[in-house]
Amino acid sequence: MIRADAVSVVKGRSTLLDSASMVLCTGERLAVLGANGAGKSTLLSCLCGENTDYDGQVWLGADSLKELLPEQRAQRIAVMPQQVELVFPFRVWQVVAMGRSPWGDEQQTLEWQQEVMKATEVHHLQHRLYPQLSGGEKQRVQLARVLLQLWHYQYQSNGQQAYILLDECTSALDPAHQHEVMDLVSSMVGPAIGALAVMHDVALAASWADRVMLLRDGRVMAAGEASLLCDAEVLSACYDMSSALSRQYARVNQQWLESR
Amino acid sequence: MMRALLFSRRLSDVVYGWRESIVAQGATGQRLVLLLMAVVLVLVFLLGLTIGPVSVAVNDVWSSLQRAITFAPIGSANDWVVRELRLPRALLAMIVGAGLAVAGVITQGVFRNPLADPGLIGVSSGAALAAVAVIVLNETLLSGWVSLTGPLALPLAAFMGGLGVTLVIYRLGTRGGQTQVGMLLLAGVAINVLAGAATGVLTYAADDQQLRDMTFWSMGSLASGRWQDVAALTGLIGVPLLLSLRYRRVLNALLMGEQVAIHLGFDVQRSKRWLLAFAALMVGAGVAVAGIIGFVGLVVPHLLRMVMGSDHRGLIPAAAMGGALLLLLADSLARTWMAPADLPVGLVMALLGGPVFLLLLMQQNGGQSR
Repeated sequence: MIRADAVSVVKGRSTLLDSASMVLCTGERLAVLGANGAGKSTLLSCLCGENTDYDGQVWLGADSLKELLPEQRAQRIAVMPQQVELVFPFRVWQVVAMGRSPWGDEQQTLEWQQEVMKATEVHHLQHRLYPQLSGGEKQRVQLARVLLQLWHYQYQSNGQQAYILLDECTSALDPAHQHEVMDLVSSMVGPAIGALAVMHDVALAASWADRVMLLRDGRVMAAGEASLLCDAEVLSACYDMSSALSRQYARVNQQWLESR
Repeated sequence: MMRALLFSRRLSDVVYGWRESIVAQGATGQRLVLLLMAVVLVLVFLLGLTIGPVSVAVNDVWSSLQRAITFAPIGSANDWVVRELRLPRALLAMIVGAGLAVAGVITQGVFRNPLADPGLIGVSSGAALAAVAVIVLNETLLSGWVSLTGPLALPLAAFMGGLGVTLVIYRLGTRGGQTQVGMLLLAGVAINVLAGAATGVLTYAADDQQLRDMTFWSMGSLASGRWQDVAALTGLIGVPLLLSLRYRRVLNALLMGEQVAIHLGFDVQRSKRWLLAFAALMVGAGVAVAGIIGFVGLVVPHLLRMVMGSDHRGLIPAAAMGGALLLLLADSLARTWMAPADLPVGLVMALLGGPVFLLLLMQQNGGQSR
C-alpha cells in the first residue's frame, strides 16, 4: 500500500497541505476530490516522489518513498500529470514507448505497446506527430504511456505492488471517452495494482471510485466509501456550494452509484 | 522575405516527404541517414584536403594520409601542406563542429526549446570572455591560474566561463521547472552585450600580439589549428560527447517536462547538471581553440529533427556527424572563397546560420497562429 502519514507542505507563507494522512491499497480505486487549490495535486506530487520537500512520511509498502531509487520507484508508481507539453516532433508510438523507460525494455515490449495503444484508442494515430494531435488525443496518448509503465504488471510483480496515480486525466476528454478511460484503469486494478485519481467531476468519481477522499484547504475533510458523495452536506461543505445545488449533485451521484 | 518563407515551406514539404519514408522504416531509416552522412563526410573531408591556394591531387592526398598514419617523415611541399596545414585544420573543424552541434542538442533538450543555441544564449561569449581574460591577464591578475593549470589554462577557463553563463541563464530562464524562452533569449542578448563590453575593456589592457590573438577569438577561426590542438580537443570534446550518449533517454523524457522525467524514474537534477556541464565543456573547449562559432548548434539539430525526428538515441550521433560536416564545409568555404585571404569561419557560419535562424523564428510564429 501507499501510506501518507501527516504529510504537510508549506510554500512561503501558505500551507498547501496540512498534515494529510491517507492509505491506498491494491485492488482499490480511490478518488481524491476537492475545490480548486484544496491541495489535491500537492498531495499527488508527494505520493509520486516528484515533491520531496514535505514534512511527515510517505511509505510505499515497507519502504520510505524518499529512500527508494528513482527507477525502483518508477517501476512501482506510474503517474499521469495534469498537463504534458511537448513541442518537439515525436511520433505517437515513440511517446508511448517511453513508458517502458523505467524497465529499459522498449524493444522487447512492442506487442504490449500495440495493446495499450488499442486500449486507449490511439492505435490509429501511432505514426502521427504528437504536437499535431488534438488535446483529447494527446491526453489519451499520455495515458497509454502511463499505463504501459505497469502493463501486464500483475503477471510479473513478484509479490510487489504497484500504483497508478492520475491527476485529472480526463479533463480534455468527451464523456464517452472519460468513462472508457476510467473503465480501462479499473480493468488494471487488481491484487497487485491500486489506483488513485484526482478528479473534478463528482459524477465521474461516483461512477468509478470504491473510496473517496475530500480535501479542503489542505486538510482531509472527509474520507470513506463512495456513498459519501450522496451526502449533500458533505458536498456543500467541501465545495462551498448552495444547499440546493449540493442536493442536486447528491441525487445524481446516488443514481450513478445505483447504476454500477 | 515572403518568397524566402514560401521557399522554406516548399523545402520543408520535400523534407517532410523524406521524413515520412524514414520514420516509416523506424530504426533502419535512422541508420540509413547516419550511413549516408558518414559517406558524405568522408568525401567532403578528402575533397577539402585537395582544395586550397595550392591544389593537391587526390592521389597525393591519399598517399599523404597513409604516410601520416604511419608517421613517415614529410616528403614534399605538398605532403607538408596536407599533413601540417590542412589535415589538422580539417580534423579540428570536425571535432569542434561535432561538439558544438551536440552541445546544441543538449541545451535545447534541457531547456526544452529548439532555439536554445549555446551561441545565442551567451554560453559561447562567456567562454570567449574567460579565454580572452586569460590571454590578456596571464601575467598579472590570472598568473596564479595559468601556473596552476599549465597548458590547459585556456580551455579550462573557457569551460568555466561557459559553465558560469549556463548557470546564470538557467536561473534566469527557468521558473518553477518551466523554461521561459523569451527570458532565455533576452538574457542571452544581455550576456552577449556584457561579455562583448568586458572583452572591449580588456582590449585596452592588451599589447599588440594579444590584440591579434583576440580579434581572432571574436570572429572564430580554425586557421591556427595544429596537431596539439587536435589532440587536446579530441579528449576535451570527445569524452563529454561520448558520455552524453548515456543520457539520451533522459533527454527524451525531459522534452516532456521535468515532472514526467521524474515519474519515469530518472534522476533529473543530477542528469541535468551533468548534461549542462558536458555542453559547457564542449563549447568552452571549442571556443578556446577556434573562438566563437555560432549557429552550428542551432542549424544542425533543427535540420536533423526535421529529417529523423527528436529521438536522442539517433539524434546525438547524427548531430555529431552533421556538425562535423557543416563546419568542415564552412571552413573549406572560408579557406577558398577569397583565397589567398583566409576568412574567419565564424563569419561564414553567421552568414549561413543567420537566415536559417530567421526562418526558424518565422516558422515558429506561423505554427502558433495556425
